[in-house]
Amino acid sequence: MADVTLRDVRKSFGGVEIIHGVDLDIRDNEFTVFVGPSGCGKSTLLRLIAGLEDITSGEMTIDGVRVNDLPPKERGISMVFQSYALYPHMTVYDNMAFGLKLANSGKDAINRKVREAAGTLQIESLLDRKPRDLSGGQRQRVAIGRAIVREPKVFLFDEPLSNLDAALRVQMRIELAKLKDDLNATMVYVTHDQVEAMTLADKIVVLRAGHVEQAGSPLELYHHPRNLFVAGFIGSPRMNLIETKVVSTDRDGATIQIPGGDTMTVPAQAAGLAHGAPVTLGIRPEHLVEADQGDTILDCTVFVVERLGGETYCHVRIADGQTLVLRTDGETTVRPGEPIRVGIPAAACHLFDRDGMALHRLQRHPLADQPLPRHAIA
Amino acid sequence: MTTPSVTPSFPQRPTEGATATPATVAAAPGISRLTRQRRRAAWLFLAPMLAVLALVAGWPLARTIYFSFTDATLYDLEYHEFIGLLNFYYLAIDPQWWRAVWNTVFFAVISVSVETVLGMIIALTLNAHMPGRGLLRAAMLIPWAIPTVVSAQMWGWMYHDLYGVINEIFLFVGLIDTPRAWIADPSLSIYAVIAVDVWKTTPFMTLLILAALQLLPGEVYEAARVDGINPVKVFFKVTLPLIKPALMVAIIFRTLDALRIFDLMYVLTGNSRATASMSVYARQQLVDFQDVGYGSAAATFLFLIIAAFTVIYITVGKVNFDQGGK
Repeated sequence: MADVTLRDVRKSFGGVEIIHGVDLDIRDNEFTVFVGPSGCGKSTLLRLIAGLEDITSGEMTIDGVRVNDLPPKERGISMVFQSYALYPHMTVYDNMAFGLKLANSGKDAINRKVREAAGTLQIESLLDRKPRDLSGGQRQRVAIGRAIVREPKVFLFDEPLSNLDAALRVQMRIELAKLKDDLNATMVYVTHDQVEAMTLADKIVVLRAGHVEQAGSPLELYHHPRNLFVAGFIGSPRMNLIETKVVSTDRDGATIQIPGGDTMTVPAQAAGLAHGAPVTLGIRPEHLVEADQGDTILDCTVFVVERLGGETYCHVRIADGQTLVLRTDGETTVRPGEPIRVGIPAAACHLFDRDGMALHRLQRHPLADQPLPRHAIA
Repeated sequence: MTTPSVTPSFPQRPTEGATATPATVAAAPGISRLTRQRRRAAWLFLAPMLAVLALVAGWPLARTIYFSFTDATLYDLEYHEFIGLLNFYYLAIDPQWWRAVWNTVFFAVISVSVETVLGMIIALTLNAHMPGRGLLRAAMLIPWAIPTVVSAQMWGWMYHDLYGVINEIFLFVGLIDTPRAWIADPSLSIYAVIAVDVWKTTPFMTLLILAALQLLPGEVYEAARVDGINPVKVFFKVTLPLIKPALMVAIIFRTLDALRIFDLMYVLTGNSRATASMSVYARQQLVDFQDVGYGSAAATFLFLIIAAFTVIYITVGKVNFDQGGK
């Protein structure tokens, strides 16, 4: 099992630079997720690690070995593709055994490995079938099985669940998390789905336009986003952002103007911000409260109510016309057009300067920096 | 294992479906009006094609088969008598006919094999992403676009024993030490004919194979690369099985073409026994010797050979599809 390190890795296609100097440390046995919008370079970065594309400049090592010039098969990786990439004319067994047969493993060893992997993935009964006779979820398992039998140092997943329907995706997500603990391997996983990223990752790498915006644990990204992009990308519904101004700063944080007249002190390192400097206040929908609590109360008007059953999203307009989303419980009786009082707890607020960079929060969130097990280990 | 029965993915399937509709019209009495309407429409659309086919293929075929049982001559087609299988008997004991059969089969097997291998190599090359691919693809089609009569005549001059460019080049590079009579020498002429056919129809093969190659899923090849499988193995274990259906169709097209070859041999070598194909033989009997009955028998025989070949090929081919290249 192995570490993967990237040092100032760049990739250009025909003179256009797509990956702009990525530095990354993926630790042994870590589940790292690359996440970002379409075209952010996350798949390209994965393909660079796989060796399917050459690095234009920079340095990459896997398990301490420089792999810049090594072909994929010598990097000790295996990859699961978005469209599964199974050999359509081979049975499930042959699909899984194909790479091993050519690597001259003994027949018994191949048989044992394939059946072991099939057992882990619960596809033993499918071994004689062709890919076209399998459902999407089964194909995905076979693709994972093919990756497992090679016993790689690093598993690479390229949006493996994006072709599955929603229910199956949830199920496979749970199984992947379990598999990760069973296999004890380094895994790199690409997705555009932030829920997959949050639930699977030990470490999330948020990418935008070929740059790493932030890398850290899921809760670190959630509680301490480094900038507006990460703040907006992680969390659903998106974080509310309110344009406002600094009134004063001191040791307890920055006091800011709230639309409607009030002020509020947000606990963030605001030294250096002048009086009147424009800032963006960020507050997640789930931290807003529909009540007369909170450090500041806003008088708002509801204009859209989305009821999901268990919870309700209220879209409200504040005094200066900006809109907020508030997540509240499913029992709320608010109606569009009604006034509503929304409380903002200062401790849950984020502040971003005019360049979109976050001001450090005065208190680290207690869950942001510790590894958290996802399920009981049997 | 409950493997669902799998129908081979033959390119003709839509047509099969279309013709199946009218075929079952009469059967079901309790079918809805809408269904009946649709079937009637299907027949309506098929009718012109059926009429044209009957006129240009059915009628001549039936007439040829009919004449093969008579002693009709070109001098007066109406005066003829029914002579049973006599024409076929004469055909069966004519060594010239069997020579023509041999020539045709030899020509078909060698030229189609060479075209398939060459076509595959060229298609694989063109399938690689390289600059100027579009231009190459267009240029490659030129031999296919030239009418056979023209290219045969052109090659006839190139093969000329005294002034031909082939002799000139071969002498220059030292492959031969004296000029050869490529199309007059009976031991060489069949190869000369095959060479022209390969030159002319490899582009067709290439195009069909290239089309099949471009439909192959790219990720499968990346998976193979990650698995570290060497390119030669990938070709034989992945590419070849995957393009096999298309390849089979290309080969059957070319083989049918080759079995009824006429113009190439006729222009290059006339009625020369060394190269005469079945079609050349039939034409010679029918036109030069005016023997419509006997010539028709040869043509009918040729038709039967091609039909038999097609049936065998498709049957064997289907068995292979089901096994999926195991």
